Amino acid sequence: MATTLASTRAAASRTATYISKGTRLSSGEPLVEASRIMWTPHNKLAKNPQVLIDTMHRKLYPGLYGSDGRPTSKLEESQRIDKSWKSRVSPKKKELAERWGETLVRNKLIVYPRKGAPIKKKCPDPVSTITQTQISKLDPTGARTRLFAKSNPECARVGDILLVRLRSGDPFSGVCINIRRRGVDTAILLRGQLTRVGVEMWYKVYSPLVEGIEVVQRAAKRARRARLTYMRNVKHDRGSVENIVRVYLRQKAALGTAEGQKKKGLGGVGGGVLGGKKGGKRGKRRQV
Amino acid sequence: MPPKSPLNWGLLPPTFLLPSSTRALLPLTPIRSIKSTNTPRPDRFAYDAKKPPLNSTTASALARKAHSIPLRTGVLALKRGMTALYNPETGKRSACTVLQLDRNEVVAHKTRDKNGYFAVQVGAGQKQAYNVTRPMLGHFATARVSPKRWVVEFKVRGEEGLGVKVGEGIGAGWFREGEWVDVRGVSRGMGFAGGMKRHGFHGQPASHGQSLMHRGMGSAGGSQGSGSRVLPGKRMAGRMGNERVTVKNLRVLQVDEANGIVVVNGCVPGPKGQIIRVQDAINKPWPKGPMKLEKIVSTPITPEVAEAIAAAA
Repeated sequence: MATTLASTRAAASRTATYISKGTRLSSGEPLVEASRIMWTPHNKLAKNPQVLIDTMHRKLYPGLYGSDGRPTSKLEESQRIDKSWKSRVSPKKKELAERWGETLVRNKLIVYPRKGAPIKKKCPDPVSTITQTQISKLDPTGARTRLFAKSNPECARVGDILLVRLRSGDPFSGVCINIRRRGVDTAILLRGQLTRVGVEMWYKVYSPLVEGIEVVQRAAKRARRARLTYMRNVKHDRGSVENIVRVYLRQKAALGTAEGQKKKGLGGVGGGVLGGKKGGKRGKRRQV
Repeated sequence: MPPKSPLNWGLLPPTFLLPSSTRALLPLTPIRSIKSTNTPRPDRFAYDAKKPPLNSTTASALARKAHSIPLRTGVLALKRGMTALYNPETGKRSACTVLQLDRNEVVAHKTRDKNGYFAVQVGAGQKQAYNVTRPMLGHFATARVSPKRWVVEFKVRGEEGLGVKVGEGIGAGWFREGEWVDVRGVSRGMGFAGGMKRHGFHGQPASHGQSLMHRGMGSAGGSQGSGSRVLPGKRMAGRMGNERVTVKNLRVLQVDEANGIVVVNGCVPGPKGQIIRVQDAINKPWPKGPMKLEKIVSTPITPEVAEAIAAAA
């Protein structure tokens, strides 16, 4: 009985030391009874189940242990409980981590970073991107855009007489009674007469079928409506614009190519002589 | 209680009580079970002597559907709005819808062996990790992609449809101009709508003695001769829209790989910002388009390639 509990299995010794606290275990003291070991506080045992296993085994099978507390024959090692988190990681995950050369992190799933910029930053408004490329393709000089741009003081307005030259067929002229501004879908509504019948025609401004749009005559006064649908009434109908257009075309032909080129340089869709003058006046007035 | 017959000591106990070693020594007794004696016969109504009877196996089910399963995966795109494109030659204007791809990546593959069919699971968009459940985070981590807002499956016909590997991104270059696509999306919800709006019923006249009934659905069915009941599936007023709609055979008009834009002809279900599934049209010949990403991703210009280009020039 010369040995102390400290010389028994390591785990059991820890318990014994705990029990003998205060009484100072010395080598001369008698061995602490096995039953006393069971006094170990529950939480202590719960923390280390191995201690409990060893202790209970010693108490249940005292014949297997010698007087020194050591097992007389080689005992089968009780199955150690591996409480480490790594033992609980699924083999598939381990294999994946090994394949990708990653380290396993406890209780943490790997969140991979996003690849590439979000579309909000890359291209926040794809519709206008497509529209702009279309407009630049269909109207490389930007003349049509300027003719109907609100920012342009000399833009065409409702009430003006416009002439639309088409790729196929006769040109059509009439009073512009509506301008629908929708990017590449911008369109104008012209009201004229064909064979003495009132006719309204929608023209897409950027359509490749429209060769040119000319301002024949500016409106005498700024229209106080956005859409001059009242012109459909007999009382307000302008009727045929044929005569005005004929005069305009004759003047344009008389002025010759030089004038025409100048107009083209200004925007390719310049109005007639009258129109230009009126437009200029309006522009000045706006600046004041 | 009737008298029990005495035990017959001459007989052996039941075989399952015998040890397995002795069981093998016993004479083989046939196991009785239910076996169909009915050979499959051709359908009486759709009889075709040349055709074999329909099979009820999964393999034959897949074979039957094969003609309508695209060869390659589709993509997820956002509907961003509508505009128009003009053909400069003909001058023809075509209304179009602008779709945009938001970082499409392949999250998983479904295979015949494991899942019973071939499909590509594609994710798009982005999601904060704290808004994603742990199982899904693990799923994304396995594919080595960031958490995705939308995850869908695109069925493909065979193994060659799994050409895009897990974790790889699909861009707008997956489609080419002139190809045909089918798009699927959830339509706008109209709420509770009447029969006129929902099913195009004609309603009733405004006048001619009509009294307090102008937009009603009218009769719901015949009386005694027809069973005096409303037949199942009778079209009535109810919730309209907010259901999946497929629009077939839309032509791809423009593709912008850099901005992830795919422009398709015509309209697409749902409001702006709706997530749309875009896949090759099943009613048109399959595109010659790429089955793998290597086909569309341009090869990086290495010194050797640069030399080759210079030599060719």
